[in-house]
Amino acid sequence: MSENFLTIVNLSKWYGNGNIHVLDNINLDVFRGEFVSLLGPSGCGKTTLLRIIAGLEKQDKGEVRLKGEQIVGPGQDRVMVFQDYALFPWRTVLGNILFGLEVRKIKKEEALKIAQNYIKLVNLEGFENSYPHELSGGMKQRVALARALVCDPEILLMDEPLAALDAQTRNMMQSELVRIWSATKKTIIYVTHSIEEAVYLSDRVIIFTPRPAKVKKIVKVDIPRPRDRFSREFVELRAKIYEQLH
Amino acid sequence: MNLKNLIIFIFSIGSFFAIWEIYYWIFINNPFILAPPSRVIPTFYDLLAGNIQGFYMPLDAIYSLYHYFLGFTVAVAVGFSVGLIAGWYKRVERFLYPIIELIRPIPPIAWIPISILLLKLTHTAAAFIIFIGSVFPILLNTIYGVSSIEKKYIEAALTLGATKTKDIFIKVIIPASMPAFLTGLRVGSGVAWMCVVAAELFGVSHYGLGYKIELGRLYHSPDIVISYMLAIGIVGLFLDRIYRTLEASIVKWRRGYLIE
Ligand SMILES: Nc1ncnc2c1ncn2[C@@H]1O[C@H](COP(=O)(O)OP(=O)(O)OP(=O)(O)O)[C@@H](O)[C@H]1O
Ligand SMILES: [Mg+2]
Repeated sequence: MSENFLTIVNLSKWYGNGNIHVLDNINLDVFRGEFVSLLGPSGCGKTTLLRIIAGLEKQDKGEVRLKGEQIVGPGQDRVMVFQDYALFPWRTVLGNILFGLEVRKIKKEEALKIAQNYIKLVNLEGFENSYPHELSGGMKQRVALARALVCDPEILLMDEPLAALDAQTRNMMQSELVRIWSATKKTIIYVTHSIEEAVYLSDRVIIFTPRPAKVKKIVKVDIPRPRDRFSREFVELRAKIYEQLH
Repeated sequence: MNLKNLIIFIFSIGSFFAIWEIYYWIFINNPFILAPPSRVIPTFYDLLAGNIQGFYMPLDAIYSLYHYFLGFTVAVAVGFSVGLIAGWYKRVERFLYPIIELIRPIPPIAWIPISILLLKLTHTAAAFIIFIGSVFPILLNTIYGVSSIEKKYIEAALTLGATKTKDIFIKVIIPASMPAFLTGLRVGSGVAWMCVVAAELFGVSHYGLGYKIELGRLYHSPDIVISYMLAIGIVGLFLDRIYRTLEASIVKWRRGYLIE
């Protein structure tokens, strides 16, 4: 674990001409290869924080640095998975997944091979040529996930990427995510509403206050992986975070 | 088309012709003023076959289509490219807007005299009228298509690693604005086809469906006039069908898009 990977310093953000205070002096370090979950009440500012890290939104105070360099806009080192998927409706499932590879100028044959791997991973075989409007919510979410994963960025910013899935698929995708994460040593910042999910996935869980979001508590998850959702330590940690949130 | 629709189709056309025929014989009954279908249909056939001296309908249709394509392709090229830029760069749109709004309400027909003065009685003069008529629907629809792209698609492209403006244009802006552009194309084509007739009526060329309508009038042959009117309608219908089919096949990704 190296220092100075992603550093958030005194970050503040207001919307609506300064009327809506969203982020209040956030300070946070994320280490290289770390899996961090952001947990907080709805509307507190998690998406906003993720968008600032992605470079899609400007902060009003403070800064975000990646490897010492200030983030001023989007970059190929960070990819975000949107809460509402934002799949390109004019592209098929395969076309959506190929997008990141096309703009990275990866050769067509190789790109197809990579895309096919991820299509298999997210269980969308047979739907390569479907358009987004022909998919269910959960399938769209899996396309969005695959579309981000193929880009192979240093940091993955995920905004509730599994929220629309049924419990069984979600559990399966969670283990896949842990597998991909440990195999590729990506840094993942992951927004979720599910305490169980946060505990299952992360190295650390960052708990935010209601808007304006402040870091309320950081909980380290020291349970070895693969984690057993029904083990005593898992259940105890869940309860502890639950108390922090309420 | 199933059998039921076919019956309705035949009944519709048939009753139209019947009323027309009856009206002629009761109220007009003068072959120099109007022609009934029973006269128009044989004349139409003769015109198609080239049996009437000085009138050969297929050749006129080719000339009209030539005028149409000459003006319309330029309108598409200009309308689409300017529309993309003006839709994306708001400052360009604000600059163009007053000019567009001033010129747009002038009917294309009002441009005919100036077009003939500038370009003489040439094919280019006809094409110019057609250009004027069809460029605005294409331009305005393209601008609308680009400016109504949801921001999230641009953001998705950015975060997925699109760094070049060119990639954003080719991979997001153009496909996302395609439905609106194609609507503009279809509407523009309809206007262009009407302008063909108007331009030819003024004698910009000695062939063309529109010109032959005027010639038919000079010969006091309403059967020729009406035959050419029908030809214009039929070709216009075909053009419209082509653009609808194109639309349906290009934007099949749209939810709930129906061709009929
Ligand atoms: N573009 C914007 N303009 C004005 N206000 C905004 C804008 N985007 C977000 N907000 C406000 O900022 C606050 C935080 O929004 P944000 O989307 O970051 O919350 P969140 O923590 O992701 O919520 P959820 O868990 O429901 O997704 C909300 O009160 C929201 O209304
Ligand atoms: Mg959110």
